[in-house]
Order: sequence, then structure tokens, then C-alpha cells
Amino acid sequence: MTSVPANKQQASADPSRPTVVVSGDGDKLALAGALVIFTLAEARNSLKKWSKQGSSRSLDVARLDSLDTPGALFLCGLRDKGVELTGVRAEHRALLDLVCGLDLKPLPKVESVPRWRQIVIQLGKGAHDARHEALDVITFVGRAASWTVSAMIHPHSLRPASISRHVAETGIHALPIIGLMAVMIAVVIGYQGVAQLRPYGGEDFTINLVAVSVLREMGVLITAIMVAGRSGSAFTAEIGVMQTREEVDALKVMGIEPMQVLVVPRVIALVITLPLLTFVADIMGLIGGAAISQFLLDVSPTQYLTRLPRVVDGSDLFVGLFKAPIFAFFIACIGCMHGLRVSGSAESVGRETTRAVVKSIFLVLVLDAFFSILFEKLGV
Amino acid sequence: MTTRTKAQTEPILSARGIVNRFGKQVVHDKLSLEIVRGEIIGIAGGSGSGKSVLLKTLVGLHQPDAGEVLLNGKTIQSIGAAEKAAQIGVLFQQGALFSSLSVAQNIMLPMREHTALPANEQEQIAAMKLALAGLPADSGIKFPSALSGGMVKRAAFARALALDPKILFLDEPTSDLDPIAASGIDALIRQLNDSLGITVVIVTHDLTTLFTICGRIAVLVDRKITVDTADKLMKSDHPWIHEFFHGPRAEGAMKARNISHGN
Ligand SMILES: Nc1ncnc2c1ncn2[C@@H]1O[C@H](COP(=O)(O)OP(=O)(O)OP(=O)(O)O)[C@@H](O)[C@H]1O
Ligand SMILES: [Mg+2]
Repeated sequence: MTSVPANKQQASADPSRPTVVVSGDGDKLALAGALVIFTLAEARNSLKKWSKQGSSRSLDVARLDSLDTPGALFLCGLRDKGVELTGVRAEHRALLDLVCGLDLKPLPKVESVPRWRQIVIQLGKGAHDARHEALDVITFVGRAASWTVSAMIHPHSLRPASISRHVAETGIHALPIIGLMAVMIAVVIGYQGVAQLRPYGGEDFTINLVAVSVLREMGVLITAIMVAGRSGSAFTAEIGVMQTREEVDALKVMGIEPMQVLVVPRVIALVITLPLLTFVADIMGLIGGAAISQFLLDVSPTQYLTRLPRVVDGSDLFVGLFKAPIFAFFIACIGCMHGLRVSGSAESVGRETTRAVVKSIFLVLVLDAFFSILFEKLGV
Repeated sequence: MTTRTKAQTEPILSARGIVNRFGKQVVHDKLSLEIVRGEIIGIAGGSGSGKSVLLKTLVGLHQPDAGEVLLNGKTIQSIGAAEKAAQIGVLFQQGALFSSLSVAQNIMLPMREHTALPANEQEQIAAMKLALAGLPADSGIKFPSALSGGMVKRAAFARALALDPKILFLDEPTSDLDPIAASGIDALIRQLNDSLGITVVIVTHDLTTLFTICGRIAVLVDRKITVDTADKLMKSDHPWIHEFFHGPRAEGAMKARNISHGN
């Protein structure tokens, strides 16, 4: 039984400030004090010159009170260079034997590439990755679409509890911030409109400007960007953490398709909530427009309301709302896709979340530009 | 030697009247524990009996609802960060390796923070710690996400040893290891204890570890702690302790102990 071993070295009096002393001269030196990790640099410096000189030298370590593994490693190194260690205490001998007996190999070096080559390599890799990313997105969107459609066809495989939780998280909890942002955007556009149109005496057209741009573009865009930053990133992080804890693998082993339980409910939830949020943003934007009209143009809310149907019609509202579910679908897909791509570490969760947000906002803007051109050509 | 006897009787770490509560659940009820310098002590107890919480309390990561923990006679909360790092090494149950650093960088982190050693020397020391923990040198450049469960344990062990602490806390050091590797870790713990005089506190379910290397065993039952040698605990008439030391697994572990003590 190893209850309390008797031959234990003494801890130095003040462990936070150990010291080592080198004494003697010529070929025979002595170490005293503590040769531990904190004093190693000191000891090495004192012995630097000496250890390079010729052979047949000896180092007396009898007055060494404490020795730890780095200290022992240092002594082993000296011994390998031909220095004789004398007066080794019994309690230090075991440690020296342990450390010197280790089969030590240096840590392998990570290959370093010159900076200019790194730039070239990164450029090539970037192009290569971009192509793969694009393919991955297309494949994933396709798979997600097919799973969503099949879930719609077989409603028993839908998960209403999960969908409603995501509707609450992505929709209801986002209401205040979306409403506030829509009002702000309307105010910003209104101010600029009044300032630019006043010199031409056309400041009344600010009402048209605010109403049309909010309904067609701004309402849906700021909602989509907000949701991409808020919910797309949450999707990636949630699924990513599950991935690091092997929960996704556990699902697969149980014969449950992650697409069906993790992706489809999120996609459906977001496709439901984004149009609703957009509608709220539209209303709030128009309210912001009313406020601007009241304060800058002296148009009362009742006058504003009677003018509104003349400047916008159903098609403006429709154009905005039509885009919402499509944006929602892509935001949800990209969030989930990056979540499932997480591998291993917590760092990877952070990296994928960033990518998901950047990519989904980028995609939303590209799609929006595409729709603008399309509706222009169609004359809607 | 007079100093030695004094060092033996004076505990390196003592916990007095520790109470830990989570909501209404009382995990520890006024338990006290003295850890003697240079011993290997095992902490055993059923799952959820509060072993990990006790370990966190002992190292000062968890503030108990009552009671105090003294390290070398000073309360653990009053000890400065650098001194604490030099005194205490902890192997966490899940390894807790930093995922953004390679294994070697994980081991070098405390050295970089608390010593003035040049980088190449830190690398040498890290390589030595890896070898001590039984990992090949080329695992040093791997990242934690690329390690198996057992390798994570060994890497975390190497990191806990980074500053050659005076007292080492191990939370389930052998739980993810194959039996050969587990015996290797047991042997390593004993070796470090013999040659460096490190005090070791092991939280474990591994009966072989408890029987072969632990001088004393602290059993956590009913929110209290019972500390004694394995031989005395075997004679205890507390039903849980009796079951623990006389169940079918205990018999096998006892055999291992007799073999290891025989040679
Ligand atoms: N942060 C916490 N909040 C609430 N309860 C906790 C917390 N940490 C631990 N507990 C509870 O305290 C009890 C003891 O937990 P602990 O992790 O110490 O168990 P353990 O003995 O280490 O078990 P195991 O052997 O499974 O690791 C458990 O019942 C646990 O639920
Ligand atoms: Mg535990």
C-alpha cells in the first residue's frame, strides 16, 4: 500500500519564488536551491558557457532541494553532453531515471509556406472552394426542397411541435425589433426624400417614395437581413453544437433522417414567419411614412390614408410579399447546411455561423436584384 | 527527519464544513476532508453523488454555500492566479482541452503564461510531458478534435502536469481508456507520486485504480464523506459501501491488487 510514501522531497519554503544558485569554478560546479520550471532559464544562463567547454566536468547536485520534470530534463541533457552528475539524492534519482528513460523525439514541425506562395495558394483554393460551395448549396437546396415537399405530401411526418417552437422563436420574438427597424427605415427614406425633392417643389412625392420603396423592397429586405442574422445564425449554431456532440450521428444511427427532423421543421417555420414579419414591417413602414408626412409635410394621418391607395396598389404589396417565402427558404437552407457542416470543435461552430450569415445575406441581395429585373421586364 | 514528519502530519489541503446546494438538492452536507502531503487519495461514490462538484470546490472553481478550503493553510480564494497554477493541476472529466490550440500548444499555454522560458525549450518540455503521458510526439501537432477519447485523456493529463504542480486533481483519469492504457496511467500516477512527491486526488469509479494505487479512499455517500484505507472500508457495515467493496467487480479488482502488491 502506498499510503504516505516516506521519501518525499521537501517543497521549497516559498513556492512562488524559488531560486537556484550555481557555485564553484573550473570543471567542478555545484547547484543548490530549486531546479524547477521557474528557475530553469536562470540555471541555463549561468551554465551556458560552462557546458560548452571540454569534457571531464562534473556537477554536484547534492544540495538541490527540489527538482521537477523540466529540471530533470535539463540535467539529463547535461549528462548526455558528458557532464557527470555527482551526489544525486535518492529521491531525485527516481525522477532522473524516469525522465532520462523517456524516448524523446522533438515535436514535428508544421510545414511553413512563404507568404507570397500562401497568397497564390489561397487564391487558387478560394476559386476552387467557391465552385464547390456553389455546388453544395445547389445540392442542399435541392435535397431540402425534396424533403420539404415530401413532408407536405405525407403530413404525418411533419413535426408540428418543432415547427411551432421555431415559428415562435424566429417570428414572434423578432416582432419588436423588425417593427422598430421598419419605422426607422421609413423615417430615413422620408427625410432624404424631402431634402432632395423640396428644391423642385415635389416634396409631396415623398409619400409615394416611402410607400413604394417600403412595400416593394425595403420591408422585405430588412426583414430578410434581420432574420438571416438572427435566425439563420441560430439554426447553424443549434445544429452545429448537436453535430459536435455527435447528436446528429445518434439520429442517423436511430434511422432518423436529420434532414427530416432538423432541417424541414426549420425551413417550414421560416417560410411561414418571414412573409408575416414582412407584412408587419410593411405596416410599420407605412406608419413611419405617416409620421414623416405629419411632421415634415403637414399631411395629417387621415389625408395620408386617403392618398395611400392612389400611390400604391395591390401589386406593390404582392411584389414584396412574394419574395419573402423564397428568401426564407434560402436563409433556412443555408443556416441548416452550415450547421450540418460543423466538424469537431467549438471553433468550427463559430466559423460556420459566420459563413452562414454572410452567405445568406449575400444570396438574399442577389435574389432581390434578380427579382427587380424580372418584375421590371414583366411590368409588374 | 523532523521536517518530514511535520510535512506528513500537516495537510496540504483541507476542506472544512463544506455545504453545497443546487436549489433544494443538497449535494454535500458539512463534509470535511484532509489531504495529506504526498498521498494518493481516491474519491469514490455513485454517479451524481457529487464527486465532480467536490473536486471543483477543492480547487476553488466552485464557491461552496458554507465552509472553507485551505491550501497550505491559506484559503483557496486568497491564493493568486500564478501561485495557484504552480500548485494545482486539474484533469477535467471531459478533458477541457482548448479546441483552437494544438495539443502541444495546450501544454505550453501555462508555461507561456507563467514562465520566461524560450519557445524551443517549452517545446522540448511539452514533448517530454507528452512522452510522460504516453502519447507519441507527432500527436503534439494534432488538434483536440482529431483525438480519440483516450488520447484526449492523456493529452489533458500532460497539460495538467505542465507546471509540475504540487497537487494533482484527476477527474476520472482512466474512464475512456483501454485496460492496458488504464494500467499505464495508474503506473504513471504512482511513478509521479514516488519520484516527484506529487499529491494526487483521483475521482474515479475504477475499482482497480482505487485498490492498487490509492493509499486512502474517500467514499461519498449520503452527502457525507467517509475516509479510510481500502482494508478498513471493506469491513464497513454501511450498505452502499459494503456493496461497493464486495460486488462482483470489486472481487476482480481485489485480485488485481493482490497481484500488483505481490511483486
Ligand atoms: N451546475 C449545476 N446545477 C444544478 N445541479 C448540479 C450542477 N452541477 C451538478 N449538479 C448536481 O449535483 C449532483 C452531483 O453532480 P456531480 O457532477 O458532482 O456528480 P458526480 O458524482 O461527478 O457523477 P459522475 O460520476 O456521473 O460524474 C448531481 O445530482 C447533479 O445533478
Ligand atoms: Mg463527475
